[in-house]
Amino acid sequence: MVPLADARKASLRRELEGILGRGAVLSDPDELLVYESDGLTLFRALADFVVFPTSVEHVAAVVKLANREGLPFVARGAGTGLSGGCLPAEGGIVISLMRMNRVLEIDYENQIAVVEPGLVNLHLSWAVGPRGYYYAPDPSSQQACTIGGNIANNSGGPHTLKYGVTVNHVLGLEVVMPDGEIVWLGGRTRESLGYDLAGVFVGSEGTFGIATKIVTRILHKPQAVKTVLGVFDDVDAASAAVSAIIARGLVPAAVEMIDQLTIQAVEDAFDCGYPRDAAAALLVELDGLAVGMDAQAERIVEACRDSGAREVRTARDEAERQLLWKGRKSAFGAYGRVSPAYMVMDGVIPRTKLPYVLRRVNQIVAAHGLRVGNVFHAGDGNLHPNILYDPRKPGEESRVVAAGAEIMKLCAEVGGSISGEHGIGLEKMDFMPLIFSAADLAFMQRLKDAFNPTGRCNPGKVFPTRKSCGEAGPVAYRPHPIEEKGLAQRF
Amino acid sequence: MPAAPLDKIRSIVGAEHVRSGVALSAFVVEGRTPEAAVFPGSLEEVRAVVETAGNAGVPVIAWGGGTAAAVGTPVSRPAIVLGLGRLNALVEHEPGDLTATVQAGMTVAALQTALRARGQWLSLDPPDADRATVGGVLAANAAGPRRQLYGTARDLVIGATVVTGEGAIVRGGGKVVKNVAGYDLPKLFIGSYGTLGILVEVTVKLRPLPDDERLVAVPFERLKDAGVAVRAIMGSDLIPTALEILDAEASRAVGLTCPGQGATLVVGFDGVPEQVDWQCAQLPTLTAACGGGDARPVDPGAWSRLGDAARAAFETPAAVVKLSVLPTLVAETMEQGAGVARQRGLPTAWAAHAGVGVVRAAVFAQPAPAQLTPVVAVLEEWRSMARASGGHAVLEWAPLAVKGAVPVWDDAGAAGRIMQRIKRQLDPANVLNPGRFVAGI
Repeated sequence: MVPLADARKASLRRELEGILGRGAVLSDPDELLVYESDGLTLFRALADFVVFPTSVEHVAAVVKLANREGLPFVARGAGTGLSGGCLPAEGGIVISLMRMNRVLEIDYENQIAVVEPGLVNLHLSWAVGPRGYYYAPDPSSQQACTIGGNIANNSGGPHTLKYGVTVNHVLGLEVVMPDGEIVWLGGRTRESLGYDLAGVFVGSEGTFGIATKIVTRILHKPQAVKTVLGVFDDVDAASAAVSAIIARGLVPAAVEMIDQLTIQAVEDAFDCGYPRDAAAALLVELDGLAVGMDAQAERIVEACRDSGAREVRTARDEAERQLLWKGRKSAFGAYGRVSPAYMVMDGVIPRTKLPYVLRRVNQIVAAHGLRVGNVFHAGDGNLHPNILYDPRKPGEESRVVAAGAEIMKLCAEVGGSISGEHGIGLEKMDFMPLIFSAADLAFMQRLKDAFNPTGRCNPGKVFPTRKSCGEAGPVAYRPHPIEEKGLAQRF
Repeated sequence: MPAAPLDKIRSIVGAEHVRSGVALSAFVVEGRTPEAAVFPGSLEEVRAVVETAGNAGVPVIAWGGGTAAAVGTPVSRPAIVLGLGRLNALVEHEPGDLTATVQAGMTVAALQTALRARGQWLSLDPPDADRATVGGVLAANAAGPRRQLYGTARDLVIGATVVTGEGAIVRGGGKVVKNVAGYDLPKLFIGSYGTLGILVEVTVKLRPLPDDERLVAVPFERLKDAGVAVRAIMGSDLIPTALEILDAEASRAVGLTCPGQGATLVVGFDGVPEQVDWQCAQLPTLTAACGGGDARPVDPGAWSRLGDAARAAFETPAAVVKLSVLPTLVAETMEQGAGVARQRGLPTAWAAHAGVGVVRAAVFAQPAPAQLTPVVAVLEEWRSMARASGGHAVLEWAPLAVKGAVPVWDDAGAAGRIMQRIKRQLDPANVLNPGRFVAGI
């Protein structure tokens, strides 16, 4: 990306300020630095401008200006993404939605809310909580991440096992299309007319346009919740318990697994009540009607015991339950206690392959001379191996990247996927051929062309930079950012 | 259709799997007979047939059980029917993963039987399950009363293998329950009526069979009160699997009785027995406060009739319409809609998946040309009503004369232009079901 000439940059800045007002445009390199990466700090890219619209008209005007100038643009929420999806990979304009953060409407009787994309996920649950409702998708970053970012990544969270991911809750979207047109996809009713455009937009990683209003379902809070902790001396036994729970005809709200390294980090940091010497713990949550809940919890307890749990207990009260969940949701932060840095991996496997895959993950990471902590959504087979490393030690970062690539291949080999919730972004573009054929990718590229024909909306994401064996791919070759950093070779 | 491509198709699937002449009577839609009905025996054969037809400029109509064959604007050019009937196997079912991979031509009933033997089910209950195929149900986005709790195909399908109009094999999604790699192609094919790709194999999420399930009916003297009761239930702690409102005509069609011109509220529950017991005990308190009569259990055989209750009220309805509205507007829509028809002397029957705002109406008229005008007027008013409620209306079934006067699909507006762009990108030669769908697609 060739930097903009100073004179042109100054005149564009004036024009952007004319649209958005003063204080809504950043262009000084120092200010832009804040926006050069997301939660995956391995990648960095500088924009020419970061803008802060407060209305759909603002967004449309900026997009039209970008098109006129031939500049790429990318939407950004809280920047908590973990795949580099909101980076301005090719310069241009970052459109921050953080000032569009209102709850516009709550319709309790129809159980829907209309919100702006910059609204923080948890704030929606806060807004509807007093009336007994909540917003179900609960990514671990829910205190910071935005609903708009959740739309881009089709975010999940622990409770998606029972309640589904973001797309299962979104009914309609007001979208600024990549050409600046404002269009509604879907609406307020459960059934939309024609193709499920809202359904394909969710999870398109910001490459189909920019959502400016979101109609989403809100759910009635369950009457009762019960959380069971299973403690295991053996990771295989904990994995087997996951299948045993499913086999007993139960669909818990969440089934999370935490391994020993993670337990110790969490206990050092927060003292949440996990036994430090356990090989693994399972956190199983049931919710729904109060009646019958004890009987179902008993089935969970039995499934854990029969799988070899050394201890199974039910959280006595809400305080203990919250503490256990705090441990789970704060695990990522707690790794700071045991390592200067870590890289979060995200892959999915069939639940029944858990014991084999966890063993292999540990072997792979150990073979690269590194340590791994696992804390993940075991109930739906969504792994999060966190590889610990020290960026100051030469060569460690590239070993992390290499181990990560092997873990992705492993997920693909057992019939799984290379991402369960973090997205492809910049990070995993070149892993796409592990699970998709050239025909699959070409079809996806044409779908993208239907929404985003010029490619200016979030360019350089999702699709592999080239196919293997030197074939001409759907996208022209350019070096992958990891490659440019000299961290890895192509596989 | 020229002989050469048809000969090639015969050589691809075997002449015994190509029907022509009088053997095509089962595939006649709106008086139009296809050039041939072709039954491939493998994914590769599907691909080769579509490619051959496409190269010859012959449109392809994917065909499952034929239960939704008359939905949409009929394909106007001479076309071939591509039947998925031979591709009807359960490819893979791993109970521990709660997933199954199934060929598109398997009937929903056959799939459920196979899954039930291992304690699981696909939580989708479309009408005509014994004939409707998995592929057809997804292409038509069909669902039944249990969608109240379990959602529709978009909530259940995790992977799809399709053959595109250009004869390419494309896979979207995967076999795992959570997956955000690449665009969510399965969403695109659900409800696309075979206009973007022919579903050949799909992977779905399953659920364990509930320990117990019950259906309860509550009669209401006024339909409006049944609507109030639905709101009361939705705001309560109860977790119904189905919430159906049937007017008097639709009630009779499924063997339920209700007072005079009243309505029946039908509510389903599942779970462990004590949960079902508790909910069945709570329900009458909620409904009585809204004017409901005595709650009584309904024979489980009624489940499969609920989705089609409006249509079943008349032997030959003049039209069946699906209206999508906000759940709170369901009862009002049913009452107003019936009133509009009554003013013109036309009887109607109404049934709704009330908790999700999906309403079906059937209108009856003597099959005389003079009756066309009032039928058309009624359908247009119903469509305006749905739109005024932020929704839309689709003509699910009607004779060609009615379809000629009232567009089958509602106007998709600006989104329709995006749909047209998608169709042009993904099926540039317009091979798959041309002209059948929304926005002229």
